[in-house]
Amino acid sequence: MKPRVLVAMSGGVDSSVAAAILREQGYDVVGVAMRLAPEPSAPAVSAPIAKRRGTCCSHDDFEDARRVAERMDFPFYVIDLRADFAARVVDNFVSEYLGGRTPNPCVMCNREIKFDRLWSRARALSADYVATGHYARIAQGADGRFHLLRAADDSKDQSYFLFTLGQDELARTIFPLGAMTKTEVRARARALGLATADKPESQEICFVPDGEYASFVERRSNPAQLRPGSIIDSDGKRLANHAGVHRFTVGQRRGLGIASGERLYVREIRAESGEVVTGRRDQLDSSGLIANRVSLVDDSLASVGELSVEVKIRYRHRAIPATIRVDSGHRAEIRFATSGPAVTPGQACVFYRGDEVLGGGFIERALEAV
Amino acid sequence: MLEAARAQVAAIVGTDPRRIVFTSGGTESNNLAIFGAITVSRRRKIISSEIEHSSILAPLAELERRGFEVVRIAPDSDGRVDPARVLDVLDSETALVTLGLANSEVGTIQDLAPLAARCTRIGALLHIDAAQAVGRIPVDVASLNCDLMTLSGHKLGAPAGIGALFVRDSARIAPTVFGGPHESGVRAGTPNLLGAVAFGAAAEAALNAMGTESERIASFAASLLMRLRDAIPGLRWNGPPVGRLPNTINLTFPGVLGESMLIALDLEGVEVSMGSACAAGAVEPSHVLRAMGRSVAEARSSLRISLGWSNMAEEIDAAASIIPAVWRRVADAEPQSEVSAR
Repeated sequence: MKPRVLVAMSGGVDSSVAAAILREQGYDVVGVAMRLAPEPSAPAVSAPIAKRRGTCCSHDDFEDARRVAERMDFPFYVIDLRADFAARVVDNFVSEYLGGRTPNPCVMCNREIKFDRLWSRARALSADYVATGHYARIAQGADGRFHLLRAADDSKDQSYFLFTLGQDELARTIFPLGAMTKTEVRARARALGLATADKPESQEICFVPDGEYASFVERRSNPAQLRPGSIIDSDGKRLANHAGVHRFTVGQRRGLGIASGERLYVREIRAESGEVVTGRRDQLDSSGLIANRVSLVDDSLASVGELSVEVKIRYRHRAIPATIRVDSGHRAEIRFATSGPAVTPGQACVFYRGDEVLGGGFIERALEAV
Repeated sequence: MLEAARAQVAAIVGTDPRRIVFTSGGTESNNLAIFGAITVSRRRKIISSEIEHSSILAPLAELERRGFEVVRIAPDSDGRVDPARVLDVLDSETALVTLGLANSEVGTIQDLAPLAARCTRIGALLHIDAAQAVGRIPVDVASLNCDLMTLSGHKLGAPAGIGALFVRDSARIAPTVFGGPHESGVRAGTPNLLGAVAFGAAAEAALNAMGTESERIASFAASLLMRLRDAIPGLRWNGPPVGRLPNTINLTFPGVLGESMLIALDLEGVEVSMGSACAAGAVEPSHVLRAMGRSVAEARSSLRISLGWSNMAEEIDAAASIIPAVWRRVADAEPQSEVSAR
């Protein structure tokens, strides 16, 4: 009997194929769908069906996953992680926005739910591995150390969201899709007759299916927590009022509600005073950043001192050359080789060397341009 | 054939075959009893309890939305609904009293015999949901003297999709499914003949085996419970020590999530159940245990083990060794501090 692997299934094509591939390889596959977001409230149920699709955790999605499990003949269960998800992902998402930062809940969900909470469940179920439909690769070196690598399909690469995984996690994780392209995954799903073969991609954050982050944050916080204030220019001159810092993201241009001769961007968000500082495009440039809660895929790298790497400071950004220095308090100073683009506090800064993820952290603040 | 099956089903609750209306199952029987009763009454009040099956609770919630008054009696910590408390709220506004004879989750058997006389005198219909009880304990419509009683086929071993409603000849209810004159005009639609035959056979077998089978199951349950208690410190048994179904064991496992236990046991070939499944297939904490005063955490740590006619002694032995091993593994891998060992 091959080892038991717990496969996290969303009902989408990627995790369906991941589970199917492992089953074909002879693993003792146990499929689980994680119930994460709260049930949609009553009005959402009567929304047009087209609007209800594509959000994670819906009844339809779980039924799709169940069909895949039946087709591929492995057991499937729905598990309820709503309380953990609310406490460790959603509350963090809200408090980050209230603090003037722009969180990445997918990174948090991987760190707190899929590779922590789900792993405990895997052990409870005697599973040796956890698998997901992420596009990323894991390789083991001759020295036995594990390496986290970009996916073969660069356009789908999700290694950015996985930087928090360390040696212990990588040793018991399988990413069956890491070497495949999305086209190959869909073709495989069709060849296997999986019901999910042609499902559309989910785009938005699963617990905010309408993409309206600001109103989500407002619903999940009390009015006293919101930080309304002024939009100011670089000289401190007030340009307009705003209803709360959670409505802004550093680097944002649209939706500032200001008529101005030149294009204005959000440069800085001062949550304490409620000030949103704007500036010209070139004023967004920075020389680097400070990251906190830094983790390294291989801890032995921390002793190296200064490292030359490439860093990705947003999922959709290209990695840029930089030097990093990680201190003992899980903080790092990152200096870009050339002055870099807008640094958005709250986002993940992930360290790469070529195709390999070395680690990463969460952006605390930008360093001034030199 | 249909009438022979009807006679077999009637016999298990000690009534005349003409009083038996075949339905598609316990859920439809409960809906027919509730909506059928309130449709012919001008009264606007219904009395029930907090620990009923969803096929009672959901129709009652719907009637509440439509403006009816629903009184739900709380049970005691063993799941008993005090008949005196039902009689306290029974008045001339009451159209229907609807209560389960035995609870599906903890197995508590209710003392419903004191209700009929007052219901009749005041003009309220008495509906008893006996889906869980029939075949496991002797059930007699004459001694309960109820107007309506729900029976379920698959609880006796018949395939799902067949059930029955006992309707006393003096009781008037309106149909909820309209069409042809089948089933005395109470339930339109050509009856499910195959289901009814299976239901009849299962009812007859259950009636014949009642005494010996109950004893066999009760001794299995006692043996399993004793061995689990020895192996799992702090294990708590939910439900009354006496006055319960012999086959239903509801247990709170210290320091674990019931959901994890349920999946882990299922993977080992031991089928247990927990609370009620939501639409998405996840498990909600049991409303019955909550009503009995257990915390959400305790309800989430509780599982129901149901023994049936198909269980063999070897299976009880296997369960007695697998369940403690799984409990230790789950408690170690995924400890839940809220539910400590007592």
